[in-house]
Amino acid sequence: MTDVDHRRAGQIPGPPSGNLADILERVLDKGIVIAGDIKIDLLDIELLTIRLRLFVASVDTAKKAGIDWWETDPALSSRAAHQELMEENRRLREQLAVPRSDQDAGPPNDGADAPFANDGRKSRPSERDPRAEEGAMP
Amino acid sequence: MRQPARAVPPAAAATYVFAVCRHVDEDVLSLLPGITSAPVRALPFERLHAVVQEVPAAEADRRSWTERLSDPEELERCVRAHHQVVTAVAAHGPAAPMALATLYSSEERARQALGADVARFHTVLDRVAGRVEWGVKGYLPAAPAAAGPVRAAVPAHVPAGPRAPDAGRAYLERVRGAHRAREETRSAALRAAEETHSALRDRAVAARRLRIQDQQSGDRRGAQVLNGAYLVEEDRTEAFREVVDTLRRRTGALLIELSGPWVPYSFAGEDGAHGDR
Repeated sequence: MTDVDHRRAGQIPGPPSGNLADILERVLDKGIVIAGDIKIDLLDIELLTIRLRLFVASVDTAKKAGIDWWETDPALSSRAAHQELMEENRRLREQLAVPRSDQDAGPPNDGADAPFANDGRKSRPSERDPRAEEGAMP
Repeated sequence: MRQPARAVPPAAAATYVFAVCRHVDEDVLSLLPGITSAPVRALPFERLHAVVQEVPAAEADRRSWTERLSDPEELERCVRAHHQVVTAVAAHGPAAPMALATLYSSEERARQALGADVARFHTVLDRVAGRVEWGVKGYLPAAPAAAGPVRAAVPAHVPAGPRAPDAGRAYLERVRGAHRAREETRSAALRAAEETHSALRDRAVAARRLRIQDQQSGDRRGAQVLNGAYLVEEDRTEAFREVVDTLRRRTGALLIELSGPWVPYSFAGEDGAHGDR
């Protein structure tokens, strides 16, 4: 139970010590949204929220275990996202190359690429569902 | 003295807005660090005050903010700093918290934009005045209750001799039993979550359910099944806490956590106006 009274009148609250996940969901998701001059892409903010939630949820445990998955998780690292995109492009290009004649395709690639290497992230449907639903709208 | 935005020369600094309120204590504001190194101060507009801070123009474009907020540590710092200012302002009267990263290219632009929405601010300030937000989260009871039986069902070692003819069936029975028990725990918790939410909603001015938070790995609590926010009259706070305590004692099916009091963030935006969506 966390009962942190931030509102004792006449006092400066110290560094708010509330649970970061609780503060995040309020400061990022709630509050008054009014058009500013400098627009931070709402989609970016939404992604950031998801990223940070995941980050908050996992990083402490992961750190203790010496795991640094967030370095390569597309949801957390734009560099990794870029790499993933390149990888996907490469795979698609290879697939396109297959139906073409044997002369062009070169030696067959015996499934040398690893399409399941990134499967870990697919276990978080919450990250993908909204877009999937949007896409399904008539 | 309102000028068209274009007539104003490019400002040396952009303006970050934390909150809007009716009264401010400038002394309190001057003690807050905020997000940048500039002083946190009040910007009067119409008959309200915005609590603002200057951001160097060079740092105030979309790209640098998106970059800044893409760094989890920096995002945490900004979020906490924003929250601290909002909380300090709300300690002296109703405050309408702005979403993170509400930025204007100049003080004059902030004044114009906020002034155009003055009716909305009054509505929010009236709604949150004298009220606080409480967060109530419900979790499945500790994970061992869910994970334990399955592990227990797996024999520690397979006996070398011939198996008893019904050992396999007994094993499957145990697995099924464990599965059933888990399902029952889960549906009992979901029912308890509904009951808890509805009991608390009755004691609140408004209520809404927030998105379920991701489970923290290594967390001893089970999955979260309730993440509720309740707008409660300040002088009803004790009664509300007592109800939470009573529910907690009565409900074995749910682990209940209370947090707050919060500035009513969840009831400040348009979607929070009427409680449950």
